[in-house]
Amino acid sequence: MKKILVTVALVAGLLALVIRYASAEYCEFQMADMNWPSASLIANVDKFILEEGYGCKVELIPGATTATFITMNEKGKPHVAPELWTNSVAEPLEKAMDEGRLFSAIKGPITELGEGWWVTPETLERHPEFKTVLDILERPDLFPAKEDLSKGEFIGCPAGWGCQLTNQSLFIAFEMEKKGWVLVDPGSQAGLDGSMSKAAQRGDNWFGYYWAPTSLIGKYNMKLMDFGVPFAGSENWDGCVAKGPEECIYPKPSAWTESIVQTVVTSEIKDMTEVMNYFSKRIFPGPIMNSMLVYMEDNQAQGADGAIEFLEKHSETWINWISLEAAKKVKKAL
Amino acid sequence: MLEFFEEFPEMSRGDLRDFKKAIDSAFRSFSRTNGEAIESFFDPILWFLIWLEKLLLATPWPIIILVVAGLCYLGARSWKLSLGSILIFVLIGYLGMWEDTMSTIALISVATLLCISIGIPLGIWMARSDRVQWLVTPVLDVMQTIPIFVYLLPVLMLLGIGKVPGLIAVCVYAMPPIVRLTNLGIRLVDKDILEAADAFGADKKQRLFGVQIPLALPNIFAGINQTIMMALAMVVIASMIGVRGLGIPVLQAIQNQYLALGLMNGLAIVALAIIFDRVLQNYGKRLQQHREGRKND
Repeated sequence: MKKILVTVALVAGLLALVIRYASAEYCEFQMADMNWPSASLIANVDKFILEEGYGCKVELIPGATTATFITMNEKGKPHVAPELWTNSVAEPLEKAMDEGRLFSAIKGPITELGEGWWVTPETLERHPEFKTVLDILERPDLFPAKEDLSKGEFIGCPAGWGCQLTNQSLFIAFEMEKKGWVLVDPGSQAGLDGSMSKAAQRGDNWFGYYWAPTSLIGKYNMKLMDFGVPFAGSENWDGCVAKGPEECIYPKPSAWTESIVQTVVTSEIKDMTEVMNYFSKRIFPGPIMNSMLVYMEDNQAQGADGAIEFLEKHSETWINWISLEAAKKVKKAL
Repeated sequence: MLEFFEEFPEMSRGDLRDFKKAIDSAFRSFSRTNGEAIESFFDPILWFLIWLEKLLLATPWPIIILVVAGLCYLGARSWKLSLGSILIFVLIGYLGMWEDTMSTIALISVATLLCISIGIPLGIWMARSDRVQWLVTPVLDVMQTIPIFVYLLPVLMLLGIGKVPGLIAVCVYAMPPIVRLTNLGIRLVDKDILEAADAFGADKKQRLFGVQIPLALPNIFAGINQTIMMALAMVVIASMIGVRGLGIPVLQAIQNQYLALGLMNGLAIVALAIIFDRVLQNYGKRLQQHREGRKND
């Protein structure tokens, strides 16, 4: 008797699983859970809404920009990159779009974002005369390098990131070596973050590369510096600055190019009308995104926890992204 | 009731968050008040590292190669090894990795020296006291298994990026083998031999330096080998917190799938490891020549 009961229970359990998977099959795909918080938050919000609201089955695949883009482009998986900073992969992406392999589901899933050179708020308080990057470059003595106190320290972008080459080029373009600066490679995001937070917490001067939206920028109220020169054209930027000093010897000084961020999907997703419709409306306002990132940082929340917090606190934002029916289901699932 | 078995009775979300927050803010205020003092404590090591790196970089390359070959001969008394090291260094220089290699040598030699000079005495102490062994073994386990960035994050907050956190990362990972194997080697010395030493009236010092350590040398040198290998394996991790050297191009290569760049710098790390190790191992063998001598009798 007992045996029969156990068997029945097992079979029922299996059946339930089978039914669950079968019903979700029509919309089952992989989404890149990129290794920085805002992308992870978006991925997890997407997963929650698409799974609970639309009955999809979304598998999150961790990865960095370049690796994710290459596998998307070559293998068609993962199927969605929710927050792809496309400046670094502009050329291959354009090609893939022309050939109909990849599509942009929305341009600018977050508003008010960008890369650039930042300083701590204390630096500006102490030196109100700093109006642009050009003013800072005259004072390397205020940012002494740890390994050579006679030089100023500019914290660049970690080794291997697309922005590493850009920063190297700008370092040359602004003649920073001649002005007494060294370009420090922080090695990894942990290194970059550690260097900036250490300075910001102690109120020290810090001058380096970073980007928004990020919790650190929000948390320490970091200040983006105007470059003091205009954007010197995309020929200089794409053809020279972004290629780095090995390929381009004479970069011209320029403000940072406008960052283009997109949700990129493969052709399989393009046929899922509901999903595409959702992506096309899913825009996070910059301030809300920053506040979410500070929340995640403060609470050491992962992307999944952050997504729940966002869905609970900011329903006025996401309610406009989806149909009423789906919204009801999502609210019920929270 | 069923719920109790289905869901683990975990701490509530809020309490857990407060708990984590408390630890974080405690560390933050600790870092704010003591950060600079701790930084200046490590300054001498930093200066020494910078000085060594600058020395290596400023010395003309033929002199460095000659010194390396000379050290190889002094340590190992082997022409083959000296010639091999000359070849490897010429190749490294020719392939444009000279400066990175010098930075790495500076870091690794300081790290290895530090590990050996702390690790061997600690191993000896462990071998002499069961209580110390009971205390130190779990610490070594933690050092070897804890994910690196778990302890590097607090180190970064205290010291910023650069050479000293890199050195700490390398040593935490590379020191355990030398401690373990020194301990093991001394504990494995035959009790009868110790009894004989006692019978000849050896005091504690004579017993340790004249009997136990010489007999434990094979194990100790196996420990040194492991320490060097692990230290060089950590070069890439050290580069993730801003240490210049062969690790930076490796990171670049990994991020961008530059096959050749990664392979070249990776192999340069391997070559350094082999040179470091062979020299020390041959030196160790010479210390133990009496063993082979006995066989020939």
